[in-house]
Parts: sequence; structure tokens; C-alpha cells
Amino acid sequence: MVISNISDLDFEKFREFFYRKTGIQFEASKRYFVDKRLMERIELTECTSFRQYFTKLRFEASGEELQQLTNLMTVNETYFFREEYQFRCLVESILPELTSRKRDRSPIRIWAIPSSSGEEPYSIALYLLEYWSGINNWDIEIISSDIDTRILAQARAGLYSDRSVQHLPEKLLRKYFRKTEKGYQLDGTLRDAVEFTRVNLSERGDTRAYRGFDVIFCRNLLIYFDDVSRKAAAETFFDAMKPGSYICLGHSESMSRFSSLFKVRKFPEAIVYQRPLEGA
Amino acid sequence: MGLIKSPKPQPTNEDVRRRGRDCDALVAQLEDANPMARRWAARDLTDCPGASAALVGRLSREPDPSVRDVIFTTLTALGDDPAVAGLVECLNSEDAALRNEAIEAMKQLPEKVAPIMRGLLLNPDQDVRIFAVNILESLRHPDVEFWLIGVIESDPDLNVCGTAVDLLGEVGSEASREPLVRLKKRFADQPYIQFAVDLALTRISQN
Repeated sequence: MVISNISDLDFEKFREFFYRKTGIQFEASKRYFVDKRLMERIELTECTSFRQYFTKLRFEASGEELQQLTNLMTVNETYFFREEYQFRCLVESILPELTSRKRDRSPIRIWAIPSSSGEEPYSIALYLLEYWSGINNWDIEIISSDIDTRILAQARAGLYSDRSVQHLPEKLLRKYFRKTEKGYQLDGTLRDAVEFTRVNLSERGDTRAYRGFDVIFCRNLLIYFDDVSRKAAAETFFDAMKPGSYICLGHSESMSRFSSLFKVRKFPEAIVYQRPLEGA
Repeated sequence: MGLIKSPKPQPTNEDVRRRGRDCDALVAQLEDANPMARRWAARDLTDCPGASAALVGRLSREPDPSVRDVIFTTLTALGDDPAVAGLVECLNSEDAALRNEAIEAMKQLPEKVAPIMRGLLLNPDQDVRIFAVNILESLRHPDVEFWLIGVIESDPDLNVCGTAVDLLGEVGSEASREPLVRLKKRFADQPYIQFAVDLALTRISQN
């Protein structure tokens, strides 16, 4: 049986539930987007009503359907070197400052969330290899996470469309990618350099183990969160970061609007936020 | 040197940490000497419905802003009567940061704050009344305009009324027009109110 529409009441129920589970808030303007995907899943799971599907979503022990739906509801559009000025800031300002302060030789740890299909963490890796001379003196770990398991598999595969790589300099495209019938295949060594993990930022159990990062990239994710979830996310990041470490948000996002925990740093290339040094 | 792979961080749904994570243990950890332990205790208390009183108790003594931040987030998440009472109590604090955080937290609790809003707007302390108007600034509740009209119709204080007028300029409808005109007459010798009301009326017309 095909469901032809989602009632206002059902939409509200779903919206509230999805927000509680993921921290992602859908405004009324996203109604068509949400309804379309809900109806698609209702049909594919062979449920006969919203009510039946909603029960499955809420009480299914494996949580599989909730994950499927989350995959559908999250937006995964990005490309290599998107908001490049922040990567420039990383190699020209953040890392020089960080390494001049660093007292041990432990690896520099970077967390990129959401990973989406991998363009961002791989861009960071590329940028470091190509534009940061410090790479010869320091070890760097890059961990990248996403709530969407399907997109994580895509990220690990490292296969990209023309559109994804359109902003990459030709030199880098030739050096790190192989053109195949299916698209641009990223070099295996680079793919192996990034650890991809599934994380729901709103789930304390998921994020608890994420500690000791020197730099976090969290761009264009918090715009989907409401005030309370944004504040909770800021607190999660605070605990995931070492004192004195840095977090980069998307160009339209400002940490100061929802958290006073971080110091605003105006570097020549970009504004980033810093967890204050201990005792500072 | 170069890019290296790190061990994958493991999700920890079952808590295997050094100290207990039951509600009593978490409440006790709010007094821990280490701010990180206090922060995590405050965060995990989200799962303890009876924890608001303990969190409120800690709030006024908590010296670390990052812990305080988490306590506010948890109180907002719990959103029960003791949590709201604790937030209201913060409005009387001399600590401006604490007051502002309480105002931000209360804005997130429209259903809980609505029943006490009238009381806040009638509080004998004019500062508390101004803070109550500040809460209304982004309280998602259908009665916001009604409450603001109540303020400008009856509050004797110039600054409280002025704050309400500013907000009515943003959220007011035709229903605010007459009360605003009456306020202008009530404070006929106050240029600030004359100016603020005219501005609010213009904005309402534009809307």
C-alpha cells in the first residue's frame, strides 16, 4: 500500500522524535523533503501506515530502520577544497602556532565531522601533504565521523564525480587520483590515512571516547541543529579538545552565538575558535 | 613523519569508567576537584530525573564556566519544576554571567516558564522584571505579546516598560497599538518612552 501523504500531526510527532534521537531539527520549510523520504521508507518497509512505521522506528531493537532513515535525511553534498581558506589557515596559522607550543612529539590529532563522502578529511590530508612543510617533522592522525553509515562506506571507497573534484588544482588531481569509468579514484595510501567512524554527535555514548584532539573541523553541520543541540554539541567538542586546541566551523556559523566556552581567534585567513589554555 | 592512522575510538554505551555512573555517584562527582569529572557528571545527570536540585545547588558554587555551561544544558534538558525554580533563583544573582545563562536556558523552556511568567513580571524587583522581558525576547509561546501588553499597561517602572516597548516593536501586532499609545500618555514627560513608542508603532505599521 502506498501512503499518499503525511498528516500535520504525524509530521510533528516524527519531527519531535527525530530531533530527540539525532539533534537535527527540521523547519516547516523542509516539510516536502521530510515527507518524501518518510513515504519512501514506509513503502520500502512494507508498512501500511505512518503509525505502523513510526512504531517500527521507535521500538525496533536493532535500530536499523532509524539508521536507514537518518542516512536519507542527512544532507551529504560537498566537494574537495570547499571553503579552502580554512585549510590555508590550518597550515599557515593554526599548525605553526600549535607546534611552537607543543612540548611533546605525540601525533597531532584532527577530527573532521561530518565526514560526508570524504571530501573534507581527504582535502585536509592533501593540504597537509602539499602545503605544510611541518609534515616532515610531525605525525598527523585524521579521524572523520558521520552519522550516516552509507556515506561512510562511500567515503572509504574514495570514488568521486567530476563535480566533487572540480576545485582541485590539476596537478593534485593527476597526482592523487586515477580517472576510471566510474569517476576519479583516490589514491589508496591517502584513503588509508583517514580513519572513518560512525558517530552521532547527540549521543553521549558515541562521543565519549573522542578525546585529545588538536584541531576539529565541524563545518555546516550545526546549522541543522537547534539552539539546545548546538550548545550540547559545543560542550561535546570542548571535552574532545585539548586545552589550547582549535575548532573550525562553516562560514555562516558562529560559536559565539551559542557557547561562551571558546575564545574567538582571528587569523589572517579565517576566524576559528579555541579552547582556552588551562589557567589562561 | 606524515599521516598515520590512529586506533578507532570505541563507543562506550556501557560505562566502564573508573567511577560509578549511577545517579548518586554522579551527584557526588559534582563536587570532584577535577573540572572534567564535574563536567561529565553534570552531562550524565541528564539521565537522572531527580537530579535538578543537586545541579542547582552546585550552580552557585561552581567556579568553572565550562562546568556551569553543562549544568545549564542539563537543567534545560531535565526542565522539571526544581530546574525551573533554580533558574529563576539565578535571576537574583549578582553574577551577570550566571543571570544571562539562566535567561538563555529559560528561553528554551516555554511550556515550563509560561505558568510562572506572570509572577516574574510582577516581581517586586524591577531588575527581575526586566530579565523576565528579556526571556520573552525569544520564548516560543503564543502569549508573548499578551504578556508584554500587560507590562506596558501596568508596570510603574520606566526601564521595564522601555524594554517591553523595544520588544513589542519586533513582535507586536495591531493589538499592541492602543496600549502603546496609552503608555505614551502615562509617561508623557519621558522623552525616552515617547521616542521608543513612536519607533515601535512605526515598526508595527511596517509589519
